[in-house]
Amino acid sequence: MSDKSYSLVEAVNLALARAMEEDENVVVLGEDVGVNGGVFRATLGLRERFGRKRVIDTPLAETMLGGLAVGMAAQGLKPVVEIQFMGFIYAAMEHLVSHASRLRNRTRGRLACPMVLRAPMGAGIRAPEHHSESTEALFAHIPGLRVVVPSSPARAYGLLLAAIDDPDPVIFLEPTRLYRMNPQPLPDDGRRLPLDSCFTLREGHDLTLVSWGASIHETLKAAAALAERGVEAEVIDVACLKPLDLDTLEASVRKTGRCVIVHEAPKSGGLGGEIAASLYERVWLDLQAPIQRVTAPDIPPPLYRLESLYLPGVEDILAASETVLDHA
Amino acid sequence: MKHFKLPDLGEGLQEAEIVEWHVQAGDTVKADQLLVSVETAKAIVDIPAPYDGVVVKTFGAPGDILHVGEPLLAYEGEEDSGTVVGRLEGGTEGPQEDSFFIGAAPSSREHLAPRASPAVRQLASRLKVRLEDIKGSGPDGLITRADVEAAAQGAMAAFEGEKLRGVRRSMALNMARAHAEVVPVTIFGDADLCRWAEPRNPLVRLAQAIAVAARVEPGLNAWFDGQRMLLRTHEQLDLGIAVDTPDGLFVPVLRDVGNRSAEDLKQGMARLRADVQARSIPPQEMMGATFTLSNFGTLFGRYANPVVVPPQVAILGAGGIRREPVAGGNEVEVHPILPLSLTFDHRVVTGGEAARFLKALVEALEKP
Repeated sequence: MSDKSYSLVEAVNLALARAMEEDENVVVLGEDVGVNGGVFRATLGLRERFGRKRVIDTPLAETMLGGLAVGMAAQGLKPVVEIQFMGFIYAAMEHLVSHASRLRNRTRGRLACPMVLRAPMGAGIRAPEHHSESTEALFAHIPGLRVVVPSSPARAYGLLLAAIDDPDPVIFLEPTRLYRMNPQPLPDDGRRLPLDSCFTLREGHDLTLVSWGASIHETLKAAAALAERGVEAEVIDVACLKPLDLDTLEASVRKTGRCVIVHEAPKSGGLGGEIAASLYERVWLDLQAPIQRVTAPDIPPPLYRLESLYLPGVEDILAASETVLDHA
Repeated sequence: MKHFKLPDLGEGLQEAEIVEWHVQAGDTVKADQLLVSVETAKAIVDIPAPYDGVVVKTFGAPGDILHVGEPLLAYEGEEDSGTVVGRLEGGTEGPQEDSFFIGAAPSSREHLAPRASPAVRQLASRLKVRLEDIKGSGPDGLITRADVEAAAQGAMAAFEGEKLRGVRRSMALNMARAHAEVVPVTIFGDADLCRWAEPRNPLVRLAQAIAVAARVEPGLNAWFDGQRMLLRTHEQLDLGIAVDTPDGLFVPVLRDVGNRSAEDLKQGMARLRADVQARSIPPQEMMGATFTLSNFGTLFGRYANPVVVPPQVAILGAGGIRREPVAGGNEVEVHPILPLSLTFDHRVVTGGEAARFLKALVEALEKP
């Protein structure tokens, strides 16, 4: 049977079904995940297939969702929580920061918290501002949480399976803008991808473009435009934002000497700063130019008419690339 | 595309094997029309179309196992993308293979670039040393300042050649110094020697003509101290005469040219030349020239840009005498022509002064 093509959201669905098939302790819970199949249809068909005890429609109460998942996980289940939009996640923060992330440490290893919290992430779908944010840095700052952002169907599939396997809490952020963009052939072979590795999407020697999430889309376009000008850019999808795979980033920037970091989140306090600082600690001797960041401005996502101005675009990435290439 | 997914077949069955498709991509189907026969653990089940539409794609071939909820068939039309506020864009690029390296690219893993601080890189670029050629002596192969300096030394030692000595060494030094300081301008002119009895060996006549020109324009028979901006013109013409030898360039000085007879000058020149060839000329005989003449034309060449050597401010180059066609009254005549190049230091000599000097010189030369 040839590999079927799946969009990113379908790949999420496929991975959830696979995980539930493999391990009966995996349960899915969230608002509208059952009968409705999820607002984005990520859980479509799961209730029919695995029953209402394993695919649980919950009340509209994220605080409760967070607490419920921590309790389930501590007692041996593997809950996969869906938060409808990233803007609704903060009500669950108390449980994520104070309990999920430190349960293992607090109980000296007696309890663990193998939960996954899935949430759509990012702007670009003409939704209101609290449906459009990219606040991954908030979670990456918390010791004890893994933060993972896939940027293709294959990585969504392999990383979600690995996240569900992982014995500790994982925040799994799905770029909404990529949900149905460009389906790709994908074998449903249950293969996991590592949760502590970047992914090199394009090999090049002239500069390193670092990104994650939906911005990978623009970053790859910028790399293609640079290639037409004879500049070979390496494109790295960080994918696992916590812990960061600095070894891969270091190896690439050592080779190219030039680096541009692209993310959709606002600049101040964003992970671009963390990555740039870590690279300066490791590779300043090899840098040919100061590292540049291409990010959204420090404002909430605007209403959709201005969305294209808010999101880092191909031209912005090309301008930053020129800045680093201009240093002889 | 709208996906029709394998429906719940009842009795808790979770999967089914495709037995036979009854439609294919491109078919128009009516609601309840038979789409596909599948076999579950219990029975063969015929699955009907849920609604009217055009089939774009069928999933799975006979023998494939599908799970409940997996896509079975795709209809033409917009897909249900959920109940979200907003709009999800589909792709325009069609299905693409996803290819990526887990972790670093092979070329990044293999890359072993020289490591050096920016300051050391700067030094290497200034000394024209390639960092790739150096093995660093610092921690983790870091290239240090000392490594770069040693490599630069080695490169110099590796340049093979013969060390310049004596006259050639002073020529190299003096010419470079002169070139760095003087602002040279050259004007060219010809002397027609048709009235000479025997137009050969113009050295003595040239010396005398320079003396004449120096009286007309004393500004070219002068010394200039560019550091202190001091100019000193000379009454007397002490003419340096460039003499080529296997050991290099010698410039002995013929003193007080303007006040000596042609015969005296001729003998003086012969003596200087002999002393130079014998390498017996005392150093003071080669100092104090107020103007220089290079008579390179006796060897070969026509015009030149001779170098003015400070503190002098001008030098005359004389090319080889050639027989050339000249416009006479109404016909072309052939005359012996002496090509001349006058280079002057434009810091102290104007173009006008130089032109008048050369004109007076040529007029003096062209006399019988």
